[in-house]
Amino acid sequence: MPQQLSSKDLSLFRQLHKYYDSKQYKKGLRNADQILRRNPNHGDTQAMKALILNAMGQTDEAFALAKEALKHDMKSHICWHVYGLLYRSVKNFEEAIKAYKFALRLQPDNGNIQRDLALLQMQMRDYAGYLQSRRAMLQARPGLRQNWTAMAVAHHLSGDLAAAEKVLTTFEETLTKPPPKSDLEHAEAMLYKNTIIAESGDTRRALDHLESIMRNQLDRTAVMEMRAKYLLSLGRMEDAEAAYRELLDRNNEYRAYYEALEKCLSLERSNQEHRERLTALYDEYAKSSERVDAARRIPLDFLEGEEFKTAADPYLRRMLRKGVPSTFANVKALYSDASKKQTIEELVEGYSSELPMNGSAEKQPNGDHSDSFQQAVLFFLAQHYNYYLSRNLPKAMEFTDKALERNPESVDYNMTKARIWKHYGDLQKASETMNHARSLDEKDRYINSKCAKYQLRNHQNEDALKTMSKFTKNDTVGGPLGDLHDMQCLWYITEDGLSYARQGKYGLALKRFKAIYDMFDVWQEDQFDFHSYSIRKGQVRAYVDMVRWEDRLREHPFYARIAIPAAKIYVQLFDKPSLASGLNGPIPDYDKMDASERRKAMKKAKREQEKQEKAEAERREAEKKNAAKKPVGPDGEPKKEDPDPQGKQLLATKEPLGEATKYVEPLLEFAPRNIEGQNVGFEVFIRRKKYLRGLKCLLQTASVDPENPTLHEQTIRLRKSLDSLPEPLSPKVSEVVKSSFTLIPDNVSLSDFNESYISKHAGSAAHIRGGLDARQSLDSNTQKKNEEELIGTLQFSGVDIQDGLDGLALLKSWGADEATVSKYDEAARKRWPEATFFETS
Amino acid sequence: MDIRVLRPEDIPHVQLANLTNLPENYFCKYYLYHAMSWPQLSYVAVDVSRPKKSPYEPPKIVGYVLAKMEEEPTDGVQHGHITSLSVMRTHRRLGLAEKLMRQSQRAMAETYGASYVSLHVRISNVAALHLYRDTLKFTVDKTESKYYADGEDAYSMRKDLTDLLPESDEESEAEGDAADEGDEVGSAGKKENKEPSKESGKKTKEKKRKVKVGRQLGVGDLVERNESKA
Repeated sequence: MPQQLSSKDLSLFRQLHKYYDSKQYKKGLRNADQILRRNPNHGDTQAMKALILNAMGQTDEAFALAKEALKHDMKSHICWHVYGLLYRSVKNFEEAIKAYKFALRLQPDNGNIQRDLALLQMQMRDYAGYLQSRRAMLQARPGLRQNWTAMAVAHHLSGDLAAAEKVLTTFEETLTKPPPKSDLEHAEAMLYKNTIIAESGDTRRALDHLESIMRNQLDRTAVMEMRAKYLLSLGRMEDAEAAYRELLDRNNEYRAYYEALEKCLSLERSNQEHRERLTALYDEYAKSSERVDAARRIPLDFLEGEEFKTAADPYLRRMLRKGVPSTFANVKALYSDASKKQTIEELVEGYSSELPMNGSAEKQPNGDHSDSFQQAVLFFLAQHYNYYLSRNLPKAMEFTDKALERNPESVDYNMTKARIWKHYGDLQKASETMNHARSLDEKDRYINSKCAKYQLRNHQNEDALKTMSKFTKNDTVGGPLGDLHDMQCLWYITEDGLSYARQGKYGLALKRFKAIYDMFDVWQEDQFDFHSYSIRKGQVRAYVDMVRWEDRLREHPFYARIAIPAAKIYVQLFDKPSLASGLNGPIPDYDKMDASERRKAMKKAKREQEKQEKAEAERREAEKKNAAKKPVGPDGEPKKEDPDPQGKQLLATKEPLGEATKYVEPLLEFAPRNIEGQNVGFEVFIRRKKYLRGLKCLLQTASVDPENPTLHEQTIRLRKSLDSLPEPLSPKVSEVVKSSFTLIPDNVSLSDFNESYISKHAGSAAHIRGGLDARQSLDSNTQKKNEEELIGTLQFSGVDIQDGLDGLALLKSWGADEATVSKYDEAARKRWPEATFFETS
Repeated sequence: MDIRVLRPEDIPHVQLANLTNLPENYFCKYYLYHAMSWPQLSYVAVDVSRPKKSPYEPPKIVGYVLAKMEEEPTDGVQHGHITSLSVMRTHRRLGLAEKLMRQSQRAMAETYGASYVSLHVRISNVAALHLYRDTLKFTVDKTESKYYADGEDAYSMRKDLTDLLPESDEESEAEGDAADEGDEVGSAGKKENKEPSKESGKKTKEKKRKVKVGRQLGVGDLVERNESKA
């Protein structure tokens, strides 16, 4: 039985509540201890004390005490509520929900617990639970509009549009007089209801409803867009045309409006006979504004041949005359059409031959002989010949140098020069040139960012951080790197990780990838406060948009960019646990050494590691001394020092495949059409002997790109594994495999299947690599032949440096001897003489 | 380059553009706070001509304006504020910043009855100053000394938006708006919002470094490290 408090202790207890609410934790603790001295087993007080301890950062003690509190008073809603709050604070939402539910069962009318439960249910997308909670909250306080709105949102998100609409209508009917126009919450609720009607598919009713509420709406752009869309989809073309023209009058740089307008006029870009009217339409909009770009640029998308040339010429001249540096960026999408690419090249080459020689620009402020026009032309051509669809690096360099002659201080020209070096494969020169460009405008963070990126590509991690530090807050914990983490600078942390991965510094690479992984968790948690905020604020449409975005957050390529390499490292760690001992340096190939060599190498590696650790410890000690004030994070909370800055613990995992799975699962769930993700997913599952999951990866890939080289090699590997299992699969699994694993015809041997793939794809380096890798795994006696053929791929037309690098990695994965590797490198150097990747070490 | 209103899924790339271009940076949650509170005011410039590399590639954001309404205007006049504006170096001279600003300003007036819009700019940022003063017709209201974390001064600029206010409402509702707005938006914690006027000056100053905005409405831990812009 719970202890009863004396009236004096009761008042102390009430005070304790207040102290907690006002964050006076020390006072609260004192109160709690006073009560507990007289009533050592008072559960509620223990619970409150636990809550305070947790707020002060003593999470473990808090949990222990909360458990004890429950032991003393299982029937106290306070104890259960606190238990839930503790779980909530460590982000264990499932347990928190359970605890809240217990608490609520003990005190069904408690609004606070009900609200806390509802918010968590929403966060966890437990819509059934959320609906129930919201219903209870609505019944408790039906006078509050936000309770009705929230109820509607719950129905809407759980998919019951009719119920959602009905809830909103029911509340509207309780309003005795119409709210004033300035009542944003009301206006927004009406508009929200309209989107629900539209989503239900009844566009006619949506239009009628919208027109009935339009007069009082303040979000005019949204209303106009919705109305135009409804009109168009109902086929009321004249009204729709007028509506879209009105929208274009407000914003003439939005392609969606133009495209809709074309539909209103029944114009089709692919229809030759419509071209004239389309051109006239865009002409009309181009003439209406000197500043509009869209109306001038869009016709280039659909015009062809001579018409294209006639339109492209004035467009390019106009942009170049204005000296717009993004002219190339603006037209390069047209290059997927080879003839348009050709036309643009000829046009701009033509402008350049009009230019006076030797840079003796006639001083004309405007027109095609002005210096700015000439520079813009040279800059355009430099970018043109640097672009992968029209690449000619010597020409690109020539035009860049000509542009630089006229303006050596141009950041843009120097930046392009750095890019050209990158494409040549000379990362050193690329990095140096970008750094030079940076030095020309030290106050511009854009060029500073680019410079850091190029340094990372060139393995200059420390230099890159120094570059970044010119724009970061450097007195935070962890210095510039800490600040980049605080500010969620994903691009830098990702590039840093990729750079370390390329250098074989897997601990640091995993460290960075983990940081990004965690940032996605933070982004997901960020929505939590808005479950209550947005409902109170009444901005419901935006809130629903956000919820839907958060639901598929990890489909973002920023996630794939770290998940794939992270999983690959873990797979490697599984295959070769000795990698973990290499920590953060290039790992010697222990397998190739004899016993004494291996011992020596390992000793050396250990010494290196100790040295590194010592230096690291000293550095941290020095940092501590320097940091005068207490380490505080950007949120004002005390910040703990990272106990594992080198990622050693990550590398030492006992469960590399478990870690890999963590990265891979969201990728497969949210971005199933990402082939690289499926490829690495297969590698994880086949090692975990989850053959069906592996097979699923193959089938997914096949549905996107049936000839994918990795898919081909993996298909053969899976077949081989299944054919040589030590124990047969269960009958059920075996049946599924038999019916769905049909990527290889039954009557063909694996080796024939592979050879026919190789001959089918003759000339394509990537596909040949897939075939050779499969052949190697089918019969290691073919290695010499495979190596020869792999070196041969370097002669294919169209191979790029990445092909060269991928081939090199493949060669090494077969354990090729040094002579072969250096032969490969030599061939690669011949192909890409400027590239710095192929130096046999 | 499309100009359109910012959507929640744009935020990762808006944050990327901000971190690439400017020294004043914000958490994802702070962008969300703008998008959830005043979803009509922030705009993005999108490079629509870029060929997509994967089916999941989101729109490439090459410029953005992040804007808000002043929640507790010290002068009692509804007005908007530009939190951040930037355009990628590769996409400058296309007039994107101006186009973004014009859309945002109209929405401020139309939806929230903003009488003017304010912003801060580094006194050394000649290009931005030119944009605001000459192209967009902002005027310098005052200089705020040491506004930025690195000690640089800021011009506090503003532009009148009364021309953009919806015609029929100008007389009858402009005033009402201001009053209603407070009622409705702040109903959850109105009392705490009200501060003695002598303190309001101090608060504005603190704002430069750290400000917890919207906390009274339940958005915890929103920190704006430096409320400033290009």
